[in-house]
Amino acid sequence: MAYQLYRNTTLGNSLQESLDELIQSQQITPQLALQVLLQFDKAINSALAQRVRNRVNFRGSLNTYRFCDNVWTFVLNDVEFREVTELIKVDKVKIVACDGKTSSPVDSISRNHSSP
Amino acid sequence: MRWMPKLYRSVIEDVINDVRDIFLDDGVDEQVLMELKTLWENKLMQSRAVDGFHSEEQQLLLQVQQQHQPQQQQHHHHHHHQQTQPQQTVPQQAQTQQVLIPASQQAAAPQVIVPDSKLIQHMNASNMSAAATAATLALPAGVTPVQQILTNSGQLLQVVRAANGAQYIFQPQQSVVLQQQVIPQMQPGGVQAPVIQQVLAPLPGGISPQTGVIIQPQQILFTGNKTQVIPTTVAAPTPAQAQITAAGQQQPQAQPAQPQAPLVLQVDGTGDTSSEEDEDEEEDYDDDEEEDKEKDGAEDGQVEEEPLNSEDDVSDEEGQELFDTENVVVCQYDKIHRSKNKWKFHLKDGIMNLNGRDYIFSKAIGDAEW
Repeated sequence: MAYQLYRNTTLGNSLQESLDELIQSQQITPQLALQVLLQFDKAINSALAQRVRNRVNFRGSLNTYRFCDNVWTFVLNDVEFREVTELIKVDKVKIVACDGKTSSPVDSISRNHSSP
Repeated sequence: MRWMPKLYRSVIEDVINDVRDIFLDDGVDEQVLMELKTLWENKLMQSRAVDGFHSEEQQLLLQVQQQHQPQQQQHHHHHHHQQTQPQQTVPQQAQTQQVLIPASQQAAAPQVIVPDSKLIQHMNASNMSAAATAATLALPAGVTPVQQILTNSGQLLQVVRAANGAQYIFQPQQSVVLQQQVIPQMQPGGVQAPVIQQVLAPLPGGISPQTGVIIQPQQILFTGNKTQVIPTTVAAPTPAQAQITAAGQQQPQAQPAQPQAPLVLQVDGTGDTSSEEDEDEEEDYDDDEEEDKEKDGAEDGQVEEEPLNSEDDVSDEEGQELFDTENVVVCQYDKIHRSKNKWKFHLKDGIMNLNGRDYIFSKAIGDAEW
């Protein structure tokens, strides 16, 4: 199953809110909404993996770090994000990162594929 | 990096197409699917984390907004005047304010906030939620953009400005009794020129959703701590209007809600009013401060806050200011490395929301010292 990580993004949240509204007005069932979100997970994971090609650098000071259930959560302060084209500065940023090695079922299947 | 409307667009298209079958299997009409898509896109536009997402639609919205932009000075309605005012949908606007609102729609567009000490007004970015759209349909023609207000008690109200200058305040999707709010810095007896957002009395029997209340801000008089609404012209878009007007006259009396949280009288702990004899006798206390405070508390009969241990906590303010965008990066890690207190991050496939805007990367490398 693809990571549900990206549900808490602008794109993901707006989808969830829209689904919630439809549930409220009883136009769809919660089960259907869940299916949509699962589909969203797949779509966004695959889009990021395939359609995005750019690099970012950043530097700051680490305020807190946490590693739990294979998920890293960092809070950094006074961070500068740098890309070729621009520089972004923030006072505080939270980074949530899932393990990149077991990201998609497709990858793991191909890795584990072996013929007896 | 910063902005890829195409990527978001393509994700939306993919998702919608992929779930079409699921919708049909569940017996849900295609129209609902289209509605989902529309809602989704509107919210994205509303959040304005995205520039030029739908440039055409933005142009249209800009035009509509310019005609009906809410003003800070209520005395005129100069429709042409508003074009000089900064537009919220202009791409340079880097600041979005996000406020979490329970139950109803969430918008990152600036909202009118009425905290205890300040009256902050922001112009609305334009879009109305579906609920607001439905509500405005029930109101007389000519009603347009919605100004959302978050009261200091956390209630979300929407102020809809009609073409004739009347303002309708309603609370979407909730049938909660509305409370009257007082804006303390207003001078008593003065007529408040800036738009006053809130003057709603609790109504017996509650209010049905989307009941409109017309407020003519010029007519709002502040007498001390009480607010009176003197409606001049009372149009009656909803049947509850008469009810509200009648109740409005009872406002000063029928107001159980206090402007601030009621002060709770504490009679134990440091505000102990009993055993005063003991307190007087023990003059050799080490913690003289405590004793003084006890006596003060006993004398005043009022304790505002627990004076003891109130400064022991040294944690950082996690919440910071309520309306800051929390800058979040959601991604996957390739490698996280640490050497003493030097950390190195190798990340990939991330979506960032920084200063209200969305950014995406396929790889990110970072350094930080702990």
